[in-house]
Amino acid sequence: MAEALQKKLQSELEKYKQMQKDVSKSMSARQKLEAQLTENNIVKEELDILESANTVYKLIGPVLVKQDLDEAKATVAKRLEYINGEIQRYETLLKDMEKKSEQHREVLSSLQQEYQKAQGRAVGKV
Amino acid sequence: MADKQSGRIEADVRVDRLREEHGKVVKGCDDQILHWKKVSADYEALDDRLRTLPDQLSYEIMVPFGPLAFMPGKLVHTNEVTVLLGDNWFAKCSAKQAQRIVDHRVKYVKGELDDLLKTRNNFEARVGFTEDLEKISNKGNYVDIREEVGSKDTIVTKGKNRVAHKPNSKPKLNTVLDLEEVEEEGKGGEGDGEYNKILSEEELWARLDQLEKLEKQQDEEDRLSDTGDNNGEDTTSSSSEEEKEADCSQPENGLGPKTSWATSGPANGQLSSQVASGGDTVKDEDEQEEEADCLPTIYFSHTVEPKKVRINTGKNTTLKFSERKEHSLTHSKRKKKNGTNGHSHHELHKISSPVDIYRLFVDVKNGEPFPRKSILKSRSRENSVCSDTSESSTTDFEERRLICRNLSHDDAPHSDTSDGITEEDSPTAALPHAPSRFEAFSGTVVEKDPMPTAIPHLTIAAPALPTILERKQEEVTTDAVPLMEPPKRVSKFKAARLQR
Repeated sequence: MAEALQKKLQSELEKYKQMQKDVSKSMSARQKLEAQLTENNIVKEELDILESANTVYKLIGPVLVKQDLDEAKATVAKRLEYINGEIQRYETLLKDMEKKSEQHREVLSSLQQEYQKAQGRAVGKV
Repeated sequence: MADKQSGRIEADVRVDRLREEHGKVVKGCDDQILHWKKVSADYEALDDRLRTLPDQLSYEIMVPFGPLAFMPGKLVHTNEVTVLLGDNWFAKCSAKQAQRIVDHRVKYVKGELDDLLKTRNNFEARVGFTEDLEKISNKGNYVDIREEVGSKDTIVTKGKNRVAHKPNSKPKLNTVLDLEEVEEEGKGGEGDGEYNKILSEEELWARLDQLEKLEKQQDEEDRLSDTGDNNGEDTTSSSSEEEKEADCSQPENGLGPKTSWATSGPANGQLSSQVASGGDTVKDEDEQEEEADCLPTIYFSHTVEPKKVRINTGKNTTLKFSERKEHSLTHSKRKKKNGTNGHSHHELHKISSPVDIYRLFVDVKNGEPFPRKSILKSRSRENSVCSDTSESSTTDFEERRLICRNLSHDDAPHSDTSDGITEEDSPTAALPHAPSRFEAFSGTVVEKDPMPTAIPHLTIAAPALPTILERKQEEVTTDAVPLMEPPKRVSKFKAARLQR
């Protein structure tokens, strides 16, 4: 009885850990996105500072590719949009995971209690 | 005591933990601030350089060549800078423009620094607070009030825990069942088996629809044969016929129009009209029956109440009445009587309206007729299931009363024309037999001949119906249909009187 419970507990714990890992992974991904967002925001602002006479390059691989200023602006705006969307996505994902992990935690705690009870009983029997 | 101490230790541990966390946050903030400060300094230097760079056309510089070597070189294009904007975006611009960009960056860095400083200050204040807290709790001058939360078992709840209704529960079904139960009780063991099986709601509604259709049909027939009806065919006996038929066909759950009357309990509003029409449909048979025994009989039937009361009139008419109906009738009538014409029962022997029926049920006390409280009460207590009023809403009751009043209105004028049937005449003792279907009896109904009898039946039926309706199901609203009927009936009355 106790052993079975322990096994179950172990498996649940493993699952929970995995979930935690996932959560932290997406969390870091989100943070990265956040950083990118700020960076792109800055880029956008600085592009606004520039005048049309300035040439804009985009570093693609090892080469600087000349770009039109307006084009660059549009690209950056698009990129910002994309990043925002990604952030939203991660937000919902994280919320979902949070909920799941919460449930997991509850299950775990109940299992733990059961396990402890079972252990206590086993001890009492012995 | 040990508990307290352990609690204190625990609290200390917790405070330590809190302080630790706060310290961490503050430290992190400090690190960040340092970083940003460095960045800021870098930008200052850059700004400086950019400001001075275009001062000369070219600079002699030592160009770094790998990590180890430098090479002498020359810096040209001093006013031409390529700026990394971020995200691999580069822009070629003059030193002045670069300065502007740098300014922008510095501004941004300053903002970051401000935020971090704020955060740090905030947390520092918290750290101070926790230290104060610790001091306070360590001094011992202050008592920490704490209440241990017991386990779930010890939580005392008053009474039963409330359980919310399920959103889709159908409370109505319960009432229906209850009603049916009551009805079955009312049967007093003489079950037709009709209501023994509980109809599901779908069945019920299907039945209602069917009944409605029938009603319409019959209404039409009624309209067609209305004149004939008014001519005073013996509708009372027809009703009796109806009852019989209904009784027979009840087990089949009423497929024909007649049975529809019998089983139409649920179809409250339509009932009254159905009754009238039902009487019409069976007219011919009634006549035949009449001829057979020359004894016009008024049957009031209701399937749900198997007990019938037969009222032997002084003449050759028998009034059969479903006990329950009578009961309810009397109730309403009584109210009426008590209110308006409590002592008029002496002279009213002729049954020309439902009210009269009640008057026929009289106890004789000290040789004086005495209005009985309830027609059935004294005799068959056990059968008087429940007062109508108890089941029906007050509004219903009011409605009924109204009807009664209407009837009595017309009643009053010809009440004195009643044939002298003494109250004693009415074999009240017969009532105990009420449970058996065709026996019970009380009161006297005076009917001269088949023709007039038709009228009383109608009049009686009209008020009786609403009571049935109410009694049976409060869930369906009793319409004002009964209200509509009385005038017509009354006119028939008058016709009867005239004939007489």
